[in-house]
Amino acid sequence: MKTKNIFLSLLCFLILSHAPSARADKKIKIVTTTSTFASIAKEIAGDKVEIYFIASPKRDIHFISPTPKDVMKLKSADVFIHAGLDLEAWRGPLLDVVGRTELMWPSGEKQIDASKGITLLEIPTSLSRAEGDIHLYGNPHYWMDPANGKIVAHNIAEGLARLYPEDGDFFQKNDEAFGKKIDEKMKEWERIASPHKDEPIVTYHKNWSYFAERFGFVVVGQLEPKPGIPPTPKHMAELIHLMKEKGVKVILKESYQESRTPAKIAKETGAKVLLLAQSVEETKEASDYISMIDYNIRELTRE
Amino acid sequence: MRIRSVYFSILFLMISNRAFASEAMLESMQKDLGSLKETVASLQSIVESQSEVLRKQSLKIATLENGRVSTGVAAPPAGAPKMAGVQGFNPEIGVTGTVQVKSTQSSADEEGNDTIALKELELNFAQVVDPYSRLDAILSFNDNIERQNVDIEEAYYTRWGLPLGFTGQIGKFRSKIGKENLLHLHRLDTTDYPLVIRDFFGEEGLAASGARLQNTIPNPMDIPIEITGEILRGNNGPSFSGISRRPIFNTHLKTYFELSKDANLELGWTTLFGDENPPIVDGAGNNVTRSGGQDRYGVKVFGGDATFNWFLPEGKKLKWQNEIYFQNRSNLVHVNDDPWGFYSLVDYKFSPKFSAGIRFDYLEPLDVVGQHRRSTAVSPYITLWQSEFADFKLQYSHTESASGNAKSDNMIFLQADFIIGVDKHPVQ
Repeated sequence: MKTKNIFLSLLCFLILSHAPSARADKKIKIVTTTSTFASIAKEIAGDKVEIYFIASPKRDIHFISPTPKDVMKLKSADVFIHAGLDLEAWRGPLLDVVGRTELMWPSGEKQIDASKGITLLEIPTSLSRAEGDIHLYGNPHYWMDPANGKIVAHNIAEGLARLYPEDGDFFQKNDEAFGKKIDEKMKEWERIASPHKDEPIVTYHKNWSYFAERFGFVVVGQLEPKPGIPPTPKHMAELIHLMKEKGVKVILKESYQESRTPAKIAKETGAKVLLLAQSVEETKEASDYISMIDYNIRELTRE
Repeated sequence: MRIRSVYFSILFLMISNRAFASEAMLESMQKDLGSLKETVASLQSIVESQSEVLRKQSLKIATLENGRVSTGVAAPPAGAPKMAGVQGFNPEIGVTGTVQVKSTQSSADEEGNDTIALKELELNFAQVVDPYSRLDAILSFNDNIERQNVDIEEAYYTRWGLPLGFTGQIGKFRSKIGKENLLHLHRLDTTDYPLVIRDFFGEEGLAASGARLQNTIPNPMDIPIEITGEILRGNNGPSFSGISRRPIFNTHLKTYFELSKDANLELGWTTLFGDENPPIVDGAGNNVTRSGGQDRYGVKVFGGDATFNWFLPEGKKLKWQNEIYFQNRSNLVHVNDDPWGFYSLVDYKFSPKFSAGIRFDYLEPLDVVGQHRRSTAVSPYITLWQSEFADFKLQYSHTESASGNAKSDNMIFLQADFIIGVDKHPVQ
């Protein structure tokens, strides 16, 4: 009898918790894969949404282990925003557990693919793991170019307007305002970066290509011998030689990458190691998308 | 006549004026033509120089095409077939292999002792079946000394979007028991399963045909609570050895707490009900199992698991994982009425290339009673991550056996794991 009561209570609870509620009195629940998409989504949707992001900005986006909390948040999410492509290898298994087909890529109606319309760099001409952990569709770190940030914002605005047409004008207005902010800042960023045009830099992982392309830096090498492969002594020796030859003065790393190898190479070459942000909130200065680009530009061009 | 002369004079004047005007116009037109010719020539030269620039740019693009391609078009749609024709519908395929070298003090000439062996080769297939479901299948090939065989390690159909948000699975799968039982060999931190898992559920844990329902219970406290219910075919694993027609029932409850931005704690509870063999009589008419009647669902296994994860700066991570199991049995096959055991594992990933850890095992086994009835083991290990797709483990294990006449054993394992193709593992 007791067991039956517990079972019935649980059933009632499940039914009630899954009952649809009126939209007017509640915020749209958005789950994003990264803090960067969360920041852009906030610009577009303002106070109309409640946002939860999965990947901690201080961890490598490629190797996230989703938690039961992520599953729970996605179970009740109204919209799921992700990077598309094959950046988040954990996204598929996570959505399998969540079991909501409307959030699944590519055709789920409640998911927004932020990569739509982005011109990708480094599309592999052949697929082989001999080239390391390469990405099938091209380099997926596209949000590091602010021009692509505008496209991401537009994709989010368009997706939200499709799902919530009653607020479509609001999203569109915010999208335009965000675009204008980026355009204005872009002039400033390009002005700051212009004296450093064609300056060679070295990065830990191949995730600065879009940023370098936009602001005129030349990435001459990575600490990883191939994408996703940890640095080896042989590769380090080659990289040190190359850096001396090209006069590289800067090594870029993120907070989730070890600092011993960059420090060792910096000591050999006289270059400095800069900790820049690939995600919003990765550093305290990178509090939102524009601040993140701002911080990266200023750090990189600091004499 | 006079009038006629005047008229002709006027006409002459008019004609001569016109002629003069036409000459001037012609001259001006000639000048214009010359200027136009010059303009065309200049434009021609501009077009030619631009063509040269374009040609050079094309060459540059062609040269760069191997390393960097900006297509100027949208990214290919997700999940788009990568191959033409019906091949695009082929499932995702992956192969994972585990080769193990084991050196032991044990003098028994049995599988795995002082040998090198392809421990396991798994062939994975997975694909979405239709908009509502997917299929996952893993076939396992073993290279045992006496019995080279192929097993269906797992093969299950998942149906999403059932009423009340449930997800259903049918087929053969690794049962949702604690943490380690869900993992395939190559995904373990160590080179073997903990003693308690091996003794209670089999050498590689419990995988059985059955059905599973899973859901997350929403609650006002916003605490993740996951429930799983399984009905599995009986006659599986040492604890439930016997009657296929009496299923094993398993329930698993899991919750999770974020202790800080960088630390979390996962707690789980497992309850299994099942049966074991009826008494067996040998050729001489003796009961080889203990006497007594058979109780329905006479085997109850209870288990708790707790995992603490601490994410440290620069990609480092500390994990402390524990599982404890105890049984309540009306014994027919195994001599121990209340076997129990636990393990505690600490794993520390301290660089992109290396992780190290230690596991402690304690077990009061199913089959050993008497004064010396506990097995213990200590297993330190180190793992080299060559890449995401290949790793090498070195493990030492010191085991004190529960059997009264068995000596302690020292073992060294060297294991290589490698993956090609797709290796998607379910989120735990």
